[in-house]
Order: sequence, then C-alpha cells, then structure tokens
Amino acid sequence: MNLPLIKNERFVQVAAPVLVGLLFLLLWEITVIALDVPKYVLPGPISIFESLIDNFPALLKALLVTLKVTFLAFIISVMLGVAASLLFIQSKWIEMSLFPYAILMQVTPIVAIAPLIIIWVNDTTWSLTICAVIMAIFPVISNTTLGLRSVDPNLLSMFRMYRAGRWQELVRLRIPGALPYFFGGLRISSGLALIGAVVAEFVAGTGGAKAGLAYMILQSSYNLQIPKMFAALFLITATGILLFALMVWLSNLALRNWHESAMTTEY
Amino acid sequence: MTIPESVTADSRAADNDTGPGTARPVIQARNVNKVYANGTIALQGATLDIRQGEFVSLLGPSGCGKSTLLRIMAGLGDVSGGSVQWWEQGYDVVGDKGRKLAFVFQNATLMPWARVRKNVRLPLDLEHVSEADAEQRIDKALDMVGLSNFGHSYPRELSGGMQMRASIARALVTEPDLMLMDEPFGALDEMTRNKLNDDILKLWQDNGWTIVFVTHSVYEAVYLSSRVVVMAARPGRIVEEITIDEPFPRGADFRVSQSFAEYCRQVSESLEKASSMGEEVRA
Repeated sequence: MNLPLIKNERFVQVAAPVLVGLLFLLLWEITVIALDVPKYVLPGPISIFESLIDNFPALLKALLVTLKVTFLAFIISVMLGVAASLLFIQSKWIEMSLFPYAILMQVTPIVAIAPLIIIWVNDTTWSLTICAVIMAIFPVISNTTLGLRSVDPNLLSMFRMYRAGRWQELVRLRIPGALPYFFGGLRISSGLALIGAVVAEFVAGTGGAKAGLAYMILQSSYNLQIPKMFAALFLITATGILLFALMVWLSNLALRNWHESAMTTEY
Repeated sequence: MTIPESVTADSRAADNDTGPGTARPVIQARNVNKVYANGTIALQGATLDIRQGEFVSLLGPSGCGKSTLLRIMAGLGDVSGGSVQWWEQGYDVVGDKGRKLAFVFQNATLMPWARVRKNVRLPLDLEHVSEADAEQRIDKALDMVGLSNFGHSYPRELSGGMQMRASIARALVTEPDLMLMDEPFGALDEMTRNKLNDDILKLWQDNGWTIVFVTHSVYEAVYLSSRVVVMAARPGRIVEEITIDEPFPRGADFRVSQSFAEYCRQVSESLEKASSMGEEVRA
C-alpha cells in the first residue's frame, strides 16, 4: 500500500505531535466527564475553550501586555548579550573578570530579586522587562561567546598569514561561524524571556490597565474561575511555542545553505 | 632555473648552497628547534635549504615535526632555537606588497557558509584587490583547478577532492611562487590523490613555483618531488635528504618504472632506519 503522506517528513513532523495532543485532550475530556470532576477543580478542554472565547477581549489585552514585556526583554537580551560576547572575546582577561557575573545573574532566582527591582524601577513595564532580561540574557552570552571562540584554527592561521585585521577576522570569520551557536542561544532565550515576563508579573501582581496574562491567572484563581485560568495558561504556552517556532524559522533561514542543523538529510 | 634579477645578494645563502641544483635558497632553516609549552620536542636541529623552483617533500611518520617545520617556514609560530631566513624581503612570510607565499592545509579549510568563489576570493578581499581584478583572478584560479563550473556551489556540495581543489584555488589566487602544502591529499582516496598529484605537478611546472609538500606517503613523495627530506620522530628531526633525479614531466610511466620502485625502496629504507634509531634513542 502506498502512503505518500506518511513518508512526507514535513507532514509527519506536524501531524504526529498534533495527533498526540488531540488524543490527550480527548482523554482529558472523557476523564472529566466520566468522573464528573467539578469545573473549579479541573475543567475539561471544551469548557476551557469556551472560556477562551468568552473572555477573548480581556485575554487578548493581557496577552499583548505580556508580549510587549517579552519582546522588549528578548530584544534587549540579544543586543546586550551579543555586545557582552563581543567584549568577552576581546581578551581572556575581560572574559575571566566578567563571566562569573554573567553566571551570577543566571543562578539568582528571579522571584527573589524581582520585588527589589520592582521597588527600584518605578515604571511597571520596565521593571518587568529588567527581570525578564536577567532571565533571558545568559544563553545569548554563553552561546554567542562560545561560537565566536569556536573558529577553525587553520582558518584563523590563514587569516593571520594574510595579515587580516581584528575587524576582518571578526566580520568575515568569527561572526558567520558563530551564527549557529547564536541561534541556538536565541531558541532558549526567547522562551526564557516569556517565562521571565510571566514570573516577574506574578511577583509584581500588577492589575489594571497593565495587567498581563500572569495577573489574569492570579485573579482567576482567586475567583475560582479555573477555566479562565487555563485559558490564560494556554495562551502563555502557545506564545512560547510560537516564539520557539519563529526562532527555528529564523535560524533555518540564515543557515539553510550551509549548516547541518538547517538541512534535511537525504539517504 | 634562473634567479630573478631583483634578488639581492645574500652571502649566507651563497655559502650554504651545497646540495643539488644551482639556485639560491628561498628559505634557509638553520638548526631550528621547536619545543612546545608541554615540553614536547617537536623539532630538533632542523637544517634545510629550499631552493627556487624545487619540489621538496617532507616525509616521515606522525610526530616527526614535518608539519611543525612547514608551519615555521610559513611564519606561523615562533622557533625555540635556531633561525629561519627568507630569501627576499618579499618572502618575509607575509610581506605587505611582495607576498608570494601560500599555504594549503591538510583539510580543505573552507568557510562552510561561503560559496566556492567567495572562499577563493578571501585572500584578495583581505588584500583589498579591486573588484574587476579579483574576478579575473578567481576565474583563472578556478579554471586552473578545474572548478570553473562550481564557483557558486557551497563547500558541502563538493566531494572531498573538489573541496581540496577549491582550497588550492584559494592558494593560487594570490599568484604565489612559494607553496607550502601540509598533507593536502592525505584524506583523499587513492584515485583522487593520483589525479591531484598530476594536477599539482603540472601547475608547479607551468608556473615555476617552489613547493614544499608534507606527506607520509613514500610513493607520493617520490612521485612528486625533486628532493625528499626524510624525517624521524621523538625528537622530530631530519635524517636524510634524497634527490629524486628523474626528469619532469612525470606521468603514469614513471609510476611503474624500475627507477620509481628503486627510489621508493631507498626512501623506505631510510625511513625504517630512522625509526629504528628513534627506538634506540628512547631505550
């Protein structure tokens, strides 16, 4: 029997996880109905979906607030992270002196310092953004630095033999070679920027016009609007997946001509 | 072989011009030592002249310092003792205007993100050669290595042999007269290697280059070289120089000739003797 769709890698790549998801949702719904679980304990997927539709304007508004912080934090992380990497590769001394502090930022629990940052920075958007940057910047720094350092030593010898300057070495050799590492960093960082934004908002508990999805979850849980809580949670995860997919797409776009990660292998 | 008129007299070079051939040395290495930071003696007392127009092979087992010696000749890395002199000011490894040296690595060492043309173009870009001039020279270099139709391919789309050709084209594009080649065909299959051997010989003859060629293949060394420098390991050193006194061009006939076999035997014996000496030194 000929099943061309099954053999299509791209189709399977999308269809397989979707199928697993649908099966999971079905099982969830059946369990909730069969055991007659109250909505305020565990709503079924259908009632979550209904809640998503009913509360869509409010949820969308909250999503936009969270997205704004996420994107701001992500862009700042990328810019500062790349700048830090470029600084680090200038000399081992600089890297040795500063890298521990980059790690320090990474290992400090954001929930512990978020209240401080929220006190110090008056503007809510910026205080949340700073928290998210602290979460998201490290993968950019560590991956980009690693990439900029991972140069074929022979190519480097060749550049030196032809008396290439540091600038040429950076632009023609180090930066192109670092791109796969950089994009690897972006994938992790984009997710962390979102998590950072949500976590910071939980701590800040900002309501009103600047309420994001995290506040939506908090508020819903106080009011026992569990389906709405799930709907907000769904939007957060969906955003995370979309961000990840966006990074994969960007990475493939940039690397498709030469890097193994962006190529489909034919046998 | 004649000496270019522009060359200034160098008394040391004249004094030491002993081996076969009348041309003056392009590179003079005197008692070169190289000790790495971890204490490994990579090279001990290496003395060698490379003369204009020669095809010299450095032959030996791994760890004999042949690549180290080649890299020192290219000006990559300092010597721990002894001296290396380049014949002309322009040969001062990477002299600004008179640069005439090119290095071919063991691996193709291409930038995977750049198409073949852009890879070949790299030395010209680094030298700020004008666009029109560069394009012309790239065409010529690609043509010389038989890659005219692959300028727009990415390295990964090429076979190993073709990648090596691209790497050679990148060396050619600067129009060097001294080529330093570090086991360039070591990773290739035998048929490709033979083909590239013939190609490099032809390019060498057509362009009047001087080539220093590192290899661990006795056959390759004998087939290509006008002189084979036999080296031994632990410590890395030169043990013997064998002149391959056979006319060029060489071809398939030479590969199956009696004298080829005889030279191979001679070189192999020298290698074996050298390695047994190494054993004694260690014992």
